[in-house]
Amino acid sequence: MLPDTTGSWTPVALSADLPAGTVMPAWTPAGSNALWRSDSGRTAASADRCPHRGMRLSHGFVRGEALSCIYHGWSYARAGNCLRIPAHPGLAPPETIRVATQRVEESDGLIWVAVGEPAAAPPRLEGLVPLRSLTAHASVAALETAAGATAGPEGIVWKVQASQTIRLLLAAQEDDQTLIHVLLRDNSSPAQRIAASRAAETLRRAAEALQAKGIAP
Amino acid sequence: MKLYDYILSPSCYKVRLMAALTCVKLDIRPVDFHPGAEHRGPELMALNPAGSIPILEDADLILTESSAMLVYLAARAAPEWLGSGAAEETARVQQWLSFSNRLTASLGGARLHEMLLRPGDITALQAQGIAALRELEAGLVEQGLRGMRFLASDRPTVADIACFPYVALAPDGGVSLAPYPAIRLWSRALRSLENFIEMPGIHRLHELKPDPHIEPDGA
Ligand SMILES: N[C@H](CCC(=O)N[C@@H](CS)C(=O)NCC(=O)O)C(=O)O
Ligand code: FES
Repeated sequence: MLPDTTGSWTPVALSADLPAGTVMPAWTPAGSNALWRSDSGRTAASADRCPHRGMRLSHGFVRGEALSCIYHGWSYARAGNCLRIPAHPGLAPPETIRVATQRVEESDGLIWVAVGEPAAAPPRLEGLVPLRSLTAHASVAALETAAGATAGPEGIVWKVQASQTIRLLLAAQEDDQTLIHVLLRDNSSPAQRIAASRAAETLRRAAEALQAKGIAP
Repeated sequence: MKLYDYILSPSCYKVRLMAALTCVKLDIRPVDFHPGAEHRGPELMALNPAGSIPILEDADLILTESSAMLVYLAARAAPEWLGSGAAEETARVQQWLSFSNRLTASLGGARLHEMLLRPGDITALQAQGIAALRELEAGLVEQGLRGMRFLASDRPTVADIACFPYVALAPDGGVSLAPYPAIRLWSRALRSLENFIEMPGIHRLHELKPDPHIEPDGA
């Protein structure tokens, strides 16, 4: 998404879906990440592979300001350097043990991970609030066809019912899947929010039907 | 109260978990489910002609459906786990108790296929499992919009315990849990409950365990 000369930003999750002290998997075209938030609230993204024996760090856990691997407990700082090896408590881990990290930005309730070195900040989505994220087994093109709209840099605007439009940010995933972030106006009522969530499921069903029939471009 | 139990059975774990959360002591009778197929032998078939476990026996009450066992434990020891009794909440509890059977059939079927090589159409089982997870995810999102963190209420009920184990073990059947943020947070909330117990493949939140500062060499 949002290519510029040096890089781009992928919207990977809603801020609300990553509370302090938690980790989750997040995929961008640069690869699989462990996306985590420290106890003090700072976000970070590292490659989703522990340098020790390759365990997924997104299966790990957060303690304080570090991400720990579930397998043997090696823990990593937000900058990617190894902080601790439990089997060798007296050892200061060498600088060479580190996980690759990506830049993370958080704004308007969304978390974005950099692919490459984007020059600008992620787009702002003022006046909108994120509702939920869901994954479709359908390509971005199939979702665009189902919605009858083309995704610009700020997603697609989709009419749910006569009086309500929602915004969908689409992030292509592996295996022809698409991560959809649903946003709506910040003054929406609880009933409108539930309607928007159900509408997003309807759109996903339509796009998956197109994809299954091979109709999508 | 006697539970005919198998440690790797998610359906049996529901009952052990509910008993732990409500502080009920169970008399555990281990069943050689695999490889012995003891649940299909004469002694257990006499208790449960359907040939499944768990079986819960309390005097002349014999229960063969885990949802009924959860309700029995809650009604006897901790009725707050049945919900408030309000019409909508009562209906939601029943909705998810019934739904939990679809998790057993789909995700449970995929897990038996992958772990014990049971025959079955694995692609169809996984697709049904994904459909069920999506329903659960949507249900939790909507509950969140109503200001509630659990399936039927803002506190956990028997409905959450009925759905949790097969969901948590979905990866054993080759079904990823990565696409479900609301399920991830719900699972964390359940795994951090006081008196939560584990089973192989389902762990209490590691963050809540003591920090393993000193461990023997050789890990
Ligand atoms: N009666 C259902 C069935 C539970 C169930 O499916 N149990 C499995 C073990 S996890 C079983 O006994 N299956 C019979 C078999 O596979 O032979 C319940 O109590 O929820
Ligand atoms: S694989 Fe991560 S600590 Fe060993």
